[in-house]
Amino acid sequence: MIKDVGFLEILKTNPGTSVQDHGRIGLGKWGIPISGVMDRRSYSWINHLLKNDSSAAVIEILQPGFRCRFDSYTTIGVAGANAEIRKNGDLIPSAIIRIQPDDELEIGKFLTGSIVYLGIAHGFQTERVLTSRSLYSGITLSKMLAKGDKIPFFTNQSFGKSTFSSAKKNMIWFENEVLEVYPGPDFEELSTETQNQLLDTKFTISTLANRMAFQLEELLPNNISERLTAPVYPGTIQLTSGGKMIILMRDAQVTGGYPRILQVAEDALSIVAQKKVGQKIQFQLKNLPKIE
Amino acid sequence: MKPKLRQISPILMELYWDEKPNDVLLNHLLSWDNAISSQFGNEVIEVRKGFQTLSCLLKNNLKESDLTAWQNFVEANIELSPLPTKLWEIPVCYDPELGKDLISLSKSLSLDIEKIITLHTEQTYRIHFFGFLPGFMYLNGLDPALHFPRKSIPDRKIEHGSVAIGGAQTGIYPTESPGGWHVIGKTPIRLFDQNLNPPVFAKPGEQIQFIPISREEFEQLSFDPKPIKSND
Repeated sequence: MIKDVGFLEILKTNPGTSVQDHGRIGLGKWGIPISGVMDRRSYSWINHLLKNDSSAAVIEILQPGFRCRFDSYTTIGVAGANAEIRKNGDLIPSAIIRIQPDDELEIGKFLTGSIVYLGIAHGFQTERVLTSRSLYSGITLSKMLAKGDKIPFFTNQSFGKSTFSSAKKNMIWFENEVLEVYPGPDFEELSTETQNQLLDTKFTISTLANRMAFQLEELLPNNISERLTAPVYPGTIQLTSGGKMIILMRDAQVTGGYPRILQVAEDALSIVAQKKVGQKIQFQLKNLPKIE
Repeated sequence: MKPKLRQISPILMELYWDEKPNDVLLNHLLSWDNAISSQFGNEVIEVRKGFQTLSCLLKNNLKESDLTAWQNFVEANIELSPLPTKLWEIPVCYDPELGKDLISLSKSLSLDIEKIITLHTEQTYRIHFFGFLPGFMYLNGLDPALHFPRKSIPDRKIEHGSVAIGGAQTGIYPTESPGGWHVIGKTPIRLFDQNLNPPVFAKPGEQIQFIPISREEFEQLSFDPKPIKSND
């Protein structure tokens, strides 16, 4: 197949739009966050539908009001939050969309969920820095996409079958409020009363939610002293000295000094990513086999 | 000084020690890090370090039979490889214009600026691990006379290359970042280069020493970087 380069031009975007892939895996020892897509479940789904490599790069959109134009033939896919999608002004229901030169795509209102993924056949072809195309401040030149940016992709005129796929995934999974968690290294340091409060409370996603971390509104009594700096991963829940709970997300730093009270299960982290400010979550503790 | 084992999630396995961080603990930690790669290299995606911890991210959910393998592993004896002897020389300009908290820190600590510079440059510091920011070295060895609590309200922007003190630690900001440490100087050298892999020049276990330089030398090295000097 001849791989000619086409471009997607961003005509309009709110802050928080970025190129993401599977992230910088294995570089944590140099202090480099893993980054990558916030919702891995939607990411895998879109690359599956497009028959892409599982690590193909997508555009992650955190706010409505995104508009772009393509200059060449391609096939794109939209997944994640259930949003109003328009092609050349017309509302379209499809998850998989054929694109011709000069087609415009618009991502409007988010009906459910908080992150939309725009995938493309063969993945977006921006520069890889330290094994990944994921944008991250201090590693890539920019940390967000902006109006006027042109994102390269491999154009493909040969559609093969011209059937219009309308595969749409059930969106219910991210409306689940219950998150599977494992006890963190410092869980046992909490009093029994606090442990019960942690598992009985419905916590609210606060406005302090970004690619690094989601802070929860409700406080939890903290009787644990600060810890010596220890490794953390996406999904680690820290308890600050002031009793704030912080769920670390994909861009989180690799070490931290706050007690690590819970670890969110990998699958449940995609649910957290799709939560909006003000939505509720509750933790369901899963125990692992005891180590003697 | 055997490590203890704890499983955090189906894909996170941690070795930890209830010991004070020092060269002896670091020696064990780095030797166990090597042992993990030879024993479980194919199953472990990465190992992140803390002062008392090695945290392994696994490729696949751990099965009960794998758990036994890990348990046997931590109970075995491993051979300790000595800590590296490499010492890196990091030039630092302690000019109050570049170290914007130097004057206030000097007042708070009741030490004159010359004394702060002497105490800061006399020591050698051991690199324990990288964290906080890409390429940020966690260093052990700050003279207790220079320990000083972090700022209660962090600065919004600390420039890359800033050399700072926070609590019982000293460090260099490799990239621009918000931060709560007291900036006492600046290095003209680049600590993190994303176009190289590894993107840093030093490794955990190696040591660094700060070498005081004049403002002129700082400007010269900023324009015309020289290779970073080490003892071998």
